[in-house]
Amino acid sequence: MSLDTAPTANRPWLLGMREAIPLLGGYVPVAISFGLIAVQSGFSGWEAVLISTLVYAGASQFLFVAMVAAGAPLWFVVLMTLLINARHVVYGPNIAPWLSQSRWWPWLMHGLTDQIFALSHVRLPQLRAEDRMGWYIGASVVAWFSWIGGTAVGAIAGKELTQRWPLLGEVMPFALPALFLVLLAPRFANRLWAITLGATIVVALLLAVSGMKNAAIPIAAACGALVYYGLGILSGRKVSRENMKREGESQNG
Amino acid sequence: MDSKLWIALLATTIGTLLIRALPLLWMQRHLVRKQGSNSLDAMPTWLTVLGPLMIAAMFGVSLVPSAVSTAAWWATGIGVLSTYLVWKRTNSLGWPVFAGVAVYGGVILLANTVL
Repeated sequence: MSLDTAPTANRPWLLGMREAIPLLGGYVPVAISFGLIAVQSGFSGWEAVLISTLVYAGASQFLFVAMVAAGAPLWFVVLMTLLINARHVVYGPNIAPWLSQSRWWPWLMHGLTDQIFALSHVRLPQLRAEDRMGWYIGASVVAWFSWIGGTAVGAIAGKELTQRWPLLGEVMPFALPALFLVLLAPRFANRLWAITLGATIVVALLLAVSGMKNAAIPIAAACGALVYYGLGILSGRKVSRENMKREGESQNG
Repeated sequence: MDSKLWIALLATTIGTLLIRALPLLWMQRHLVRKQGSNSLDAMPTWLTVLGPLMIAAMFGVSLVPSAVSTAAWWATGIGVLSTYLVWKRTNSLGWPVFAGVAVYGGVILLANTVL
């Protein structure tokens, strides 16, 4: 699974499925927790599975179930769950240059979660144009099915599983930061990007530790953008100062 | 689920899909209008910057262990370092993730045994 442009033979969907496997470590334990919490909140097992199939958005599903269980007005439940997902608006446009004009793509955006976006953002540019849809379908189907399957397992046997193997739920989610790191790693070679990404990561980490996990992603990304453009302006001024100095020296000389 | 809850679920489903699909359609139309130029050049600069930043923010958030403890933070640090080192060596996607999870799990197990 090289990060360079790889020959994908005739089965790009298989490559997509293979490359989405690391996501399972993060998806399945969280999906099991969702299934368990949904059942404990008064939803039936199949209702929990249906929510995972249709909504397919981690944090907003937890919020949906918790607010319904707390008796919140339903219009407010819908509004809040959509607000949590608002960060997804930048994902589609970011991968658009690598997508064809096929009418299937908008429907396939159902599978564009945070993690599938991160994977697609790095992998789609490296694939041949004709392989991209197959790869995306393979990757997103693995992620979607693991989310649905994990919810079903959680709804049926979540309590027993978490009691018997508590360590599994603690260790497997580390697959997500490991995957994000691998996707970001090539950018650290550039100094401007290294500083920008470092600042974004620290801000997101601090906000998440303070309990603001959902707000952390857009806020940290906005802070990172400020750092990126701020450094760009500073380095631009430095370059123009040096140019002026050189021009002055040549005139004096 | 009663009928009102069904409507709320459907509204959330459709709303989530629209949040993901409409911006893509907007960008695709924007790229078609700018046809002839390189599609990456036709993208607004802020958008190309925002993509990696969103991944970095997700990375930062996901670093917080599910069960916060000193051992878990150590495991996170050592796991991140191992992932990076294996990536440097293999330049692949799967092996660094596998190594990171294995090392993270190993440190957690060790801490549970020793402490």
